[in-house]
Amino acid sequence: MATKVLPAREPRSIGRSLLMTLPIALWSFLMFHGWYSRPNRSQLIAGIVTSAFMVILFFMMMRTWSTYRWRRWFFVALGLLFPVGFIHTVMVLRGTMGIPIEEMIAGRTPFCFIPIPLLILPAAFTKAIVFPGSILPNGGMSGGGMAAMVGIWLAITIVVGKGWCSYACFFGGIEEGMAAIPAKATVRKIDSRWRYGPWAVLLAMTLLSLGLFESAYCMWLCPFKAVSEYVAARNTVGMIQNGIFVLLFGALVIALPLLTKKRTQCAFFCPFGAFQSLFNKTSVFDVKIDKTRCTPCVLCQKSCPTMALTEESIARGETLMSCMKCGACVDACPKDAAVWHIRGTEVAVKPERARLMFLYAAWGMAIMFGGSIIAQGLATILHVFV
Amino acid sequence: MATPFAFGEALVLGLASGPACVASCGPVLVPSLLAERTGLRLNGRYLSAFLATRLLGYLLFAAVAWELGALVSFRTTERSWVFAVIHLLLAGVLLRYAWSVGRACNHSCASPELVTIGGAGKHRIPGAAVLGFLTGVSLCPPFVAAGVRAAEAANVAAAMLFFAVFFLGTSVWFVPFAGFGWLRRNEAVTTVARMAMVLIAFYYLYAGLMTLIRKSVYGY
Repeated sequence: MATKVLPAREPRSIGRSLLMTLPIALWSFLMFHGWYSRPNRSQLIAGIVTSAFMVILFFMMMRTWSTYRWRRWFFVALGLLFPVGFIHTVMVLRGTMGIPIEEMIAGRTPFCFIPIPLLILPAAFTKAIVFPGSILPNGGMSGGGMAAMVGIWLAITIVVGKGWCSYACFFGGIEEGMAAIPAKATVRKIDSRWRYGPWAVLLAMTLLSLGLFESAYCMWLCPFKAVSEYVAARNTVGMIQNGIFVLLFGALVIALPLLTKKRTQCAFFCPFGAFQSLFNKTSVFDVKIDKTRCTPCVLCQKSCPTMALTEESIARGETLMSCMKCGACVDACPKDAAVWHIRGTEVAVKPERARLMFLYAAWGMAIMFGGSIIAQGLATILHVFV
Repeated sequence: MATPFAFGEALVLGLASGPACVASCGPVLVPSLLAERTGLRLNGRYLSAFLATRLLGYLLFAAVAWELGALVSFRTTERSWVFAVIHLLLAGVLLRYAWSVGRACNHSCASPELVTIGGAGKHRIPGAAVLGFLTGVSLCPPFVAAGVRAAEAANVAAAMLFFAVFFLGTSVWFVPFAGFGWLRRNEAVTTVARMAMVLIAFYYLYAGLMTLIRKSVYGY
């Protein structure tokens, strides 16, 4: 279908872009000022580089009017550097990536956000958390404990909804990076029913977590155990579990994104993503399709990394609830019909204002949460050289 | 043991164990119920079939428990065989169920039929009935506790009565599932339920096989 493309938008002036970046630069300074005063040189450099990196990316977003490609740099860096920092800490503290049963019994298992939805039903039934971690900091690898992670997740989720999956998740960047490598997708036809996969995994894992009284997803299906901490394989069961983790990681995070140019783990598997979709109903920010401008050329649908747009949803002028607010569709639309939007306001009246308000919130949180993870990973690498 | 007190004990044991029973049966019950068509009446029929055959499983187990006393039914070695076989059967039935849902008339169909599994014609039986029976004979902890008490009953009738009352107590917790009938079904809900059934079936398959392998290799 021929699409009349609007003339390329002139870049925003440098002065104006700088002015718009100023709040983010100040926020970045505030978030990283602790790093600037660290006596460890690798941490000092990592802090400076990361804060500059985040500010420059935001500046480019302002200057070029484009969101997705600059956000992707941050997101891929987050995905690649999280395992570096995490594995380093694990090795220093335990000497192995495998979590021994003693650490679990002691409640020192690090808690990530993915099991959050799986713990709700068992907690409601038994008033107990079926995760071998601790609610408050407990030494070892438990970090800030579950309460800190739940607090961070809740704060970010209330504001950006499923934007968490594009601005805070420290796993998704690996597959987004993989999906960016090939120029064209080898596999283009994907059965749309695979989109229900995350809901099925969420349902099955929630029920099994309740029945088995353990976080079933962490024990059996998490692909990212392959790059964080696996089960210490002391018996056949441990070997099987680790085999499943590696297989899923290889298929969903490496191979399929390379073949499809989609974030396949996020789109077809992640139970947390399905749960997070519910919060898109409460977030004030969303992406709309201005039906008066839409041709429809379905370029937005093709560009969406998680298949959150269908022809029906485009006709309705909206994305599906699984939209991660990454901005790919907005950037891809040649008619400026895909727009950022704030609930309660008219569609496409001041879309750039909506984009700015969303980005200030999302990027501020990205600096606070993802930025510190990037800096930690970077410091680990620099420590080898500096 | 056949005193009103014993039956009161069975009822209280059933009521107290209800959440554990729901947690244990949930992975089987919830996706299969969601895969059925919408409507309170149909979902009521599903639950009736599920609970009736579950009662059948309970009574059968009560008879076996009483006949064999506590000798065979609750010894770990024999129990693991029962576990393995039931898990493998559950896996097979769930997979077949998920496949049958796809074959059943689509969800705009007005026919108020439960999803059936098995051969053609008279040989077809509602999947709910098979799943109810298999969960009925599953050895979850409260079930074993009730089995121990039933094994001490004066006669087989008392043991079965004890299990019937225990069943009543646990069944109260299943009543809210009838509310699933209000949930609208569309392709998304059915597909999610079918996919979830397949995932859960894989878990049961794994659990059954591992139990068999462990028993064959290590003898426990």
